[in-house]
Amino acid sequence: MATVQSDQLLTQFQPNEITPELARKRRSQFRIIFDRFTRNKVAVAGFVVLAVLLVAAVFAPIITGQTSTYDPPNDPNLSIALSGPIPGHPLGTDDLGRDELARMLFGGRVSLAVGILTALLTILIAVTVGSLAGYYGGWVDMVMMRVTDAFLSVPLLVVLFVLARTFSDGSVPSIVILIAAFEWPSVARVVRGEFLGLKEREFLLAARTLGANDLRLMVRHILPNAAGPIIVAATLVVGDAIITESVLSFFSFGVRPPTSSWGSMLNNSRDFISSDPLLLYLPGIAILITVLCFNLMGDGLRDALDPYMTER
Amino acid sequence: MTLPAATTARASATGAHLSIEDLVMHFPITQGIFIQRQIGAVRAVDGVSLSVKHGETLGLVGESGSGKSTIGRCLVRLYKPTSGHMYFGDQDLAEAEGQQLRMVRRRIQMVFQDPYASLNPRFTVGSLISEPMAIQRTASRAEIHTKTEELLERVGLNRRFIDRYPHEFSGGQRQRIAIARAISIEPEFIVADEPVSALDVSIRAQIINLMQRLQEQMGLTYLFISHDLSVVRHVAPRVAVMYLGKIMEIADRGDIYNEPLHPYTAALLSAVPVPNPRVEKQRKRIILKGDLPSPINIPSGCRFHTRCPLAQEICRQVEPPLEDKTGRSHFAACHFSDQVGPLTRTGSVQGLGTI
Amino acid sequence: MARLLEVKDLKVQFKTREGPVHAVDGVTFHLDAGETLGIVGESGSGKSVTSLSILRLLPMPPAQLVNGTIIYQDKDLADLPESEMRAVRGREIAMIFQDPMTSLNPVLNIESQLIEPLQLHLNMSKNEARQRAIELLEAVGIPDAPRRLRAYPHQFSGGMRQRVMIAIAIAANPKLLIADEPTTALDVTVQAQILELIARLRRDLGTAVILITHDLGVVAGVTDRIIVMYAGKIAEEASTDELFANPRHPYTLGLLASIPHLDEAVTEDLQTIPGSPPDQLHPIAGCPFQPRCPFVLEKCKTYPPYMAVGPNHRAACWVDVTDPAEQERASKRGFIPFRQIRHGFAGESSPAGMSNA
Repeated sequence: MATVQSDQLLTQFQPNEITPELARKRRSQFRIIFDRFTRNKVAVAGFVVLAVLLVAAVFAPIITGQTSTYDPPNDPNLSIALSGPIPGHPLGTDDLGRDELARMLFGGRVSLAVGILTALLTILIAVTVGSLAGYYGGWVDMVMMRVTDAFLSVPLLVVLFVLARTFSDGSVPSIVILIAAFEWPSVARVVRGEFLGLKEREFLLAARTLGANDLRLMVRHILPNAAGPIIVAATLVVGDAIITESVLSFFSFGVRPPTSSWGSMLNNSRDFISSDPLLLYLPGIAILITVLCFNLMGDGLRDALDPYMTER
Repeated sequence: MTLPAATTARASATGAHLSIEDLVMHFPITQGIFIQRQIGAVRAVDGVSLSVKHGETLGLVGESGSGKSTIGRCLVRLYKPTSGHMYFGDQDLAEAEGQQLRMVRRRIQMVFQDPYASLNPRFTVGSLISEPMAIQRTASRAEIHTKTEELLERVGLNRRFIDRYPHEFSGGQRQRIAIARAISIEPEFIVADEPVSALDVSIRAQIINLMQRLQEQMGLTYLFISHDLSVVRHVAPRVAVMYLGKIMEIADRGDIYNEPLHPYTAALLSAVPVPNPRVEKQRKRIILKGDLPSPINIPSGCRFHTRCPLAQEICRQVEPPLEDKTGRSHFAACHFSDQVGPLTRTGSVQGLGTI
Repeated sequence: MARLLEVKDLKVQFKTREGPVHAVDGVTFHLDAGETLGIVGESGSGKSVTSLSILRLLPMPPAQLVNGTIIYQDKDLADLPESEMRAVRGREIAMIFQDPMTSLNPVLNIESQLIEPLQLHLNMSKNEARQRAIELLEAVGIPDAPRRLRAYPHQFSGGMRQRVMIAIAIAANPKLLIADEPTTALDVTVQAQILELIARLRRDLGTAVILITHDLGVVAGVTDRIIVMYAGKIAEEASTDELFANPRHPYTLGLLASIPHLDEAVTEDLQTIPGSPPDQLHPIAGCPFQPRCPFVLEKCKTYPPYMAVGPNHRAACWVDVTDPAEQERASKRGFIPFRQIRHGFAGESSPAGMSNA
């Protein structure tokens, strides 16, 4: 009965009214973000492609039946070198007669590992530096920002080439550290900006009046609200790192044989650009697609993680 | 939650619950990239003294830039005052640090203007309301949950929405959440900084009534900061009017609204639109000339003299003291408070050019 | 007086992912030349959308004019070509907004922004236009106008910016000025200055004004007639005196009772309107106010027709709220009869300068 309901609604302090959002089923924070992300079809497509690439890279030994790129079946077999697609070698072979599909998968392993590990390391450094600089301001901020300025004002590639020769031994970890060392300042600036903006927000002031300490304010209150931009920056770093590694490898400063990455494959295929262009296109396209997909996914995550996007 | 009897007893003994003495809050303006030099200061609060009685509400009225919110923020120590004292019981809030400050924060809480901004969007309602109890450790983990549910119902929200997020609630409901959070650790004093200004008109009465009911039940003392003179008149038996960092007038509600003794108060009152056309048509407005001077460069003498319809030479030279003009605790800082009455009756409209 | 504007059955929707938001849902009203009309409502009531549709300033999409005519003099603004519409905007109908900073160009000085409409609409020479610009600034109460002409918007205070906006709005001598919450962002003493200025425009220039606000106090002093909007519909319409003396819609009654009045005695509790403003994405059948209304009846599930309840007074409500029997029924749901609120409490007398005789 309508009138009975109305009577219940109208007691003096009755604001148990239900907004349309409250009328819906309760969703967790993760679920809300997931629902928002899945509405962006392009971002989801990027995610799916990346997932396929990642699975293929992780399970490369199973897919190809090899444990690494230089196992016996991949030993040089000059009789079928530069064959183009033939039975047993769907993507053809390289100049030494090694299976190109296997090389792509194992190369992807290295490229993706460099990208993802670099992003993780970058985030670790950038969040630490950026949050301290943004939250405390003052001289901490001054020093840290001048350091990042210095990093941002060097000619990146030249210094990388020099350092790769002197510092790196061509292993994946050394490349990761090298690239991360140059990636973190720009991300630290993003983090700093977020912290700087969020620390003056009213909900932060409110938490401060409760007696919350700095650690709690930074970790519990600011960081979750800054997560969006940080994660987006991370996805961009993945793409950036993959490209930087390719450039290094292309100029023979990156991973060293027998390990290969998409970048070093590009380098190897330079001489066969007319005889077997597929060797050039395959790693090139792989890099392009991977970087593009990371960026598309980052775009979707930015919207999904925005805490103030009230649209459901 | 019951009202602790001891609190009432102490209050009746001391009278004033909070007493601010000569509070100054200057924000320095600096210049220079490496070596920062102070080149001036925003004098947001420039020597304010006032007191609030236990269980009462003091209304603090002023326009934007008057420094009223800065006083509130000093009280909850979001800012450390430049100088002056804020005695709360036997403690000086201006001096408290570390553990002492944490203890004080338990007794004095704040409600902010915009419930969309003052609630962390990543927190559930339950964690928002229970956070003060967790930080101040006023209850065990097990107690916190039941207490949170009680608090939700106490402010008129359904306990089954304890794990929802702030964006799912309407503006009025969110302000209820902010209030539940503020009272969760049973404070004695609440600084309410424009608590209804961001809400829809039809919602404001709900929140005002809720705050008044909680005051009765818990013996709360309020500093109610607002630019809305009608709302302040409704909630506060004693009212202070601020202009450019100083108190211009402070008196009981009946005195200050009926017989203002400061021309600024009179101008404010005459400017408030009243939802009654008959009154509006015959009202005499005191239209102030010019704009609010910059708080960096406060006028000499009486800081209101640049806009005051009663200003004389003395006002440019001598700053009038805030003194009791009637013997009924009606304080006003004006050399010519005896002329405010006639001004109120005649009004004054500054000449404008022809269109 | 000559009819200046006639809006008939205006319906505006916003397309969203989750369905249409019925922002304006069948609004009909008129405005005579030189008249000042107040439109009062809360956020989401459709008052701003209504005014923006008159000048066709809504972004389309997502907004969509579903139905209705907007007759201004002899033209239907609802389907005027955009080129002709541009001649109406600024020249015939001008608009000022809540935040003047968003409608002033920050990189141009006041002079160029003020001269542009004069040259465009009135074909003035540069010198004539400058002369007129100075007059306009003086008219809206900006001191030292010749010098201030060269200033940029950020060099003005909020109140001064709103004056500049008004100067630009009236530059081409429009017949209608639409002011959308023109004083909401301003302090009360500045608000008084701006309201005084708007009242003077009407007196001196005969400009008709539509004043849109959420504040019943603001419209009480300056308007001839008031429309109260709720949930995209007109709840009540009456002459200003009549509306305040004899409100006939429960929502108007609730609004008047739930705000403290400076000219009346202080009360214990404020009467509340329970609940929250409605969600226009999920409109309910019938009267949108029914979940919050103490007078609610079974037949409120059908939207009531506009009933003439007095001279120049119409309200969309099935109930005669002045009927003591109805008030008795509503008081069981927390309603405090209107007259009783006004005079029933012993309290302090009216503040200075506000005798309610």
